[in-house]
Amino acid sequence: MDVFLQQLVNGISLGGIYALIALGYTMVYGIIELINFAHGDVYALGSFVSLAVLALLGVQDEVHGAALIGVIVLTLAGSMLACGLVGVLIERLAYRRLRNAPRLAPLITAIGMSFILQNVMQLWKGPSPVPVPQFIPNPTLFHSGAVEIQLKQVLVVALAVVMMIALQTFVTKTRMGKAMRATAQDRDAAQLMGININTTIALTFLIGSALAGTAGFVSGVYYGTAVFNAGFAAGLKAFTAAVLGGIGNIAGAMLGGFLIGLIEALTTQFISDQWANVVVFSVLVAVLIFRPSGLLGESLPNKV
Amino acid sequence: MRSAALRSLGSLALVAMLSACGTSTSTTTSSSGTTSASSAPAGGATTVAIGVDMPLSGDDASIGVPTKNGVLLAIEEANKAKALPDGFTLVDKTLDDAVQGKHDPAAGAQNVKTFIADSSVLAMVGPFNSNVAQSEIPLTNDAGLVQISASNTNDGLTTGDNAAKLRTSHPDVNTYFRDCTRDSRQGAALAAFAKKLGWKKIYIVDDNETYGKGLADIFDAQFKAGGGTVLGHDHLTQGQQDFKALLTKARASSPDAVFYGGNTSTGGGLLRLQMADVGMKATPFIGGDGISDQQFITTAGAMSNGTYYSFAAPEPSKLATAQAFIAAYKEKFNEDVGPYSANSYAAAKIIIAAIAKGIKDNGGKMPTRADVLKNVAATSNFDSPIGKIGFDKNGDTTAPILTIRKIQDKKAIFVDQIILKS
Repeated sequence: MDVFLQQLVNGISLGGIYALIALGYTMVYGIIELINFAHGDVYALGSFVSLAVLALLGVQDEVHGAALIGVIVLTLAGSMLACGLVGVLIERLAYRRLRNAPRLAPLITAIGMSFILQNVMQLWKGPSPVPVPQFIPNPTLFHSGAVEIQLKQVLVVALAVVMMIALQTFVTKTRMGKAMRATAQDRDAAQLMGININTTIALTFLIGSALAGTAGFVSGVYYGTAVFNAGFAAGLKAFTAAVLGGIGNIAGAMLGGFLIGLIEALTTQFISDQWANVVVFSVLVAVLIFRPSGLLGESLPNKV
Repeated sequence: MRSAALRSLGSLALVAMLSACGTSTSTTTSSSGTTSASSAPAGGATTVAIGVDMPLSGDDASIGVPTKNGVLLAIEEANKAKALPDGFTLVDKTLDDAVQGKHDPAAGAQNVKTFIADSSVLAMVGPFNSNVAQSEIPLTNDAGLVQISASNTNDGLTTGDNAAKLRTSHPDVNTYFRDCTRDSRQGAALAAFAKKLGWKKIYIVDDNETYGKGLADIFDAQFKAGGGTVLGHDHLTQGQQDFKALLTKARASSPDAVFYGGNTSTGGGLLRLQMADVGMKATPFIGGDGISDQQFITTAGAMSNGTYYSFAAPEPSKLATAQAFIAAYKEKFNEDVGPYSANSYAAAKIIIAAIAKGIKDNGGKMPTRADVLKNVAATSNFDSPIGKIGFDKNGDTTAPILTIRKIQDKKAIFVDQIILKS
């Protein structure tokens, strides 16, 4: 029983990272119906930017007190900003001109962007896993029997939930959010109503990629390493999460992320580590066949 | 309508993504050809090349490069000492078989094809990894090009049905040799060592590759045969980054140690690192020569302490015969020898001697690959830094030896040397 509970904790923490990445997939799909396959690599880039910011701050070991908050805020902000801008750049370079082209065209440029990012990261830091300084102390917050919840695990989940709530609020309560929803609903009509489509789509990429940057920061902290091609597998799983929750649906992406994390951890425990990917991607196939709208559905008003 | 479109888009995207990934690994083959050859040396000398195929970039570079250096040193010394008759110069033709930082069987096969196409290449040293050898042996067998590996330990490369299957073109000819011992011995020695340390229950993880799974299976069987309990045996998947669920499962069975069959680049370093996060900081870690590289210590950091590993070669610093080699290596490369540097040096020496004999027997003319192969196969009692080497009919060394080290304060320390009967 203890192991089961511990695996729930593991699964939810892992799911938090998937959920953060899935939010970006879902937003972009919601607004331009494109699966942005470079998104996973933007996530990996987040870990590398965090690494660079930490190097800039000269952080190598654990930091305590107010300085810790400062380092977290600066690193997170740096990662979000850099990834957000890269996302905007990708949209501008690879997708905007192909917005009215056949669907296959932007999909292929997306794959191209994915490999460009991967190789740039490989050139930058090399192909080996790069150790990320463990600057956040990791005390055990909760301990009961063999079940342990550590600070970093709470951090992952808390960041994911906070980001989702902020995003949901932004999309439903602000003028910009309204513009996003309108663009998602009908791009041409939105343009006729005076909404600047290009700005709105760029903003969507900015936010989605900044969330991937958050995930990258979190993964660097949680795993203690950054790997240039980590975005590929994580991206595919986050995409599965987005589809599972109902692509285009913000709460759905979050739910899907946590579910995929749980499925992975529990498969590892009760079947075998090797079967985890088989089960996760079987879920993708099953959802696409039997419930293409996902668990929560792609209900239009929430879409974006 | 929307969902139908999404469905087709989603499946299309997956197919595109997966196939794109597949091709990327084969097209980005970064064969950094660093041939130090000048193809037309002055004075009309004939150039004889030794092919060197090792992983030289990424995670595997920290073990591939010192192994390659052993060959370079042997070639340099041979040229200086005029080991070949006048008019012949030795050069290396070095190619990298790592793709995106990890040894790659397809890249290795491509490199071997390059060697075969180059008529000046009379023999090759390599590869480093067993699964790469698996894809190379059929090619060298077909071309009759002799290859000596300094570090492949998988049993199936030389013995049993698998070895027979690798010799596809010429089943009666063996072109593959190695001067390190096999995993059946490495696995057995590790199992005996684990028992000696008093470990009774072990959890086994492997990377599911030719070498890693092979070694783990042998360890599994031998540890059980010695009265130990194997609590579980799991396999990692390629590119896996999160090992916490797997390790939580392992911890629940409270093992005395975790055994890992595989390389650092296929997950060994990250697996050890994440043991700290699941409360297994104090649990020892043990593995084979796949984690004998410096990169393991870099990746796992302080968690690398408490790790034991073996490698299928002698500890150079403990051998009187290796002292001259160690000094020369340090002078040339300004670093300590790697676990398999002495082996690759010895392999190159054997090849050079075989070429020299071939030239002599051929009346001072360039020998054929078949001549060199014949001479290598006949090697026995060959004096090298790692002792007197010979090959049996399968291509295995007649002087098997194993070393066990422990990592302490992020440094590898000699623990034991096991001399085996051939």
